[in-house]
Amino acid sequence: MTTQDKAIKSQKVPMSRRGFLGLLGKGAACTGALTCTGAAIGSALANEPKRGFQQNDKQLAESINNPPDIPEYNWNDHQWAIGVDTERCIGCLRCMEACKMENSVQMDAFHHRTWVERYTYLEGSNTAIVDSQADPKNVENAGSETTFRFDNRYKDVKVDKSFFVPKLCNQCEHPSCVQVCPTGATFKAKDGPVLIDTTYCIGCQYCVQACPYGARSFNEVRGVAEKCNWCYHRITKGLNPACVEVCPTGTRIFGDRNDPESPVSLFIKNNHVQVLKPEMGNSPNVFYKGTDKEVV
Amino acid sequence: MPKHIVRLLALIVVVAIIVFSAKQFLIPDSFYRYGHYRGDAVVEVASKIPKLQGSDSCQKCHQKEYDVWMAGIHRKATRNNEVQGVVYKYGPGCEVCHTGPAGNHPSKDPMPLSVEDKITSITHPEIKVHPANVSGRKLMLTSQEMRGVCLNCHEKMHGRPLEQKQIEIASHSGEEVCTNCHNPHSPRIVYANLSTGKRGDAKAGKVIAESCVGCHGDTGMSAASAFPNLAGQHFDFLVDSLKSFKSGKRVNETMSPMVEDLNEADIRNVAAYFSKFSCGVTHGDKEKAALGKAKADNCKACHSTGGLYGTGAAGVSGNPSWPNLAGQNAEYLFNTLKAYQDGSRVHPVMTSIAKTLSEDDIDHLAAYYASMKCK
Repeated sequence: MTTQDKAIKSQKVPMSRRGFLGLLGKGAACTGALTCTGAAIGSALANEPKRGFQQNDKQLAESINNPPDIPEYNWNDHQWAIGVDTERCIGCLRCMEACKMENSVQMDAFHHRTWVERYTYLEGSNTAIVDSQADPKNVENAGSETTFRFDNRYKDVKVDKSFFVPKLCNQCEHPSCVQVCPTGATFKAKDGPVLIDTTYCIGCQYCVQACPYGARSFNEVRGVAEKCNWCYHRITKGLNPACVEVCPTGTRIFGDRNDPESPVSLFIKNNHVQVLKPEMGNSPNVFYKGTDKEVV
Repeated sequence: MPKHIVRLLALIVVVAIIVFSAKQFLIPDSFYRYGHYRGDAVVEVASKIPKLQGSDSCQKCHQKEYDVWMAGIHRKATRNNEVQGVVYKYGPGCEVCHTGPAGNHPSKDPMPLSVEDKITSITHPEIKVHPANVSGRKLMLTSQEMRGVCLNCHEKMHGRPLEQKQIEIASHSGEEVCTNCHNPHSPRIVYANLSTGKRGDAKAGKVIAESCVGCHGDTGMSAASAFPNLAGQHFDFLVDSLKSFKSGKRVNETMSPMVEDLNEADIRNVAAYFSKFSCGVTHGDKEKAALGKAKADNCKACHSTGGLYGTGAAGVSGNPSWPNLAGQNAEYLFNTLKAYQDGSRVHPVMTSIAKTLSEDDIDHLAAYYASMKCK
């Protein structure tokens, strides 16, 4: 034995290889066990009732045990969603007109709860030209304040591609408009739609600015913010929202995601769908089929 | 403790009490019930009264129009009928074209106020118009407005999907009003709706008919029982038949060369000529007719006025595109069904039906329809 070996032997070895590997194994086992427990906890949470937006435990219990007194309707039984099949939309704007009449929205092209956009790619162009019913040419073509029409402006030019996209409130899972409301005048109902309490709205329009989808507008006549609520007064009575009811081509599909056989559940299941601006983290509840990346 | 500190503390306590009691007083009971909002607002929003009533609500008073719509392409709009086997949407309903929701039509009274309407009206007294009353509501359309309504969906435009029926206005109709040819409730074209100019001129048809009367008779009652009677036959059916001879879809060694030189207008004229006569009754064998009646259930859906329900006058078709059978020559009917059976004449529906019939059945059915009154 050389002096060098002695020196090595006399050193205190912090951990033998065997010991280290053993520890590593134990550590792995522990981590695995923890992960499993975590997963178990997670699945237990999934079975728990869905928590409303920014609800504490007491409020959650209240919304389950003592739901709002709407005749023959319990908001715990439903999770509403809308599908939009843009491949069917013909841009007739019947949805917009029906919505305005159903909800007494101001009858001009600039105030709306739902609207339709037209995306057009001229020949050889990679950028879409976007117009909606509020475009001055379209307003002129409609001829009256209370009718809405797209004009046929691309009749004589070569168009690579063109399509219509109906827009409406996405009733987000994490609504930015609700977060910014200073008075609690807008809120997310347990069954999905984001509603406005018009008596508490002070007309500050923070919500109009906060919405990443431009779904809100300001109603100057009433002095309150205006937004699509998927015709909450209709869906709680078992009817379709007005825009879905009148759509002559079946572009808009409405239903309950809790029911796997509802039209919207089947639509989401059987088609490739996407939401608008997923990067905003709002997790919208309107599912689009057949839109380009330009559609935001 | 110094006096001024005590006073200050007392002041703070008083202010705190006032603030908290004001908060208790001002915040409604339901405010934090479900979250940071007034819980009662949910019920208020939900209490609004729906204005769109759906097409079924129109049925009570407008049964006739409703029936036409139900049977027509505007309700079926087949391409939209199904998504993965689930019927979820029909074509345009009444409220799509008739400018807006039915609301409480036909009542002249304003719609009743719901809680939300009341609250908005009270808090904002400057709202003069009752929120439940639709301004500019006009349920009836003039024919010029109708044109705009039709074109709103059917004008050829970039961005509309190919499945949507679209027209080039200039080449389709020019300035013509859509309803001259189309019934807006069921717009697939039916020649019976055309004005006389479009339907054909019976007088002009008489000249062409001179070459027909040899077989089909002066008044459309044929000279021999092997030839069909044309008197009182539907205009549409006659036009369709002549066109299918012309296109070669139907072949007959006599008829095919006869129609070769006829143009569209001639066909309409001659069809108009024969369809205006009233038909006579040919007499089928009574015993056979009684047997045939029992077999006629399968025919009723198309060849009776009651349509699918199998009611109404037997042998007179509800749809003008299908032939009347009542009073037709028994021999001709017999030959026709045989022709469908052996494939010398082809029709998507008739071929398969004829193949289910025995020779006796055909004989009896022919006798039955020959003995029916055609009016």
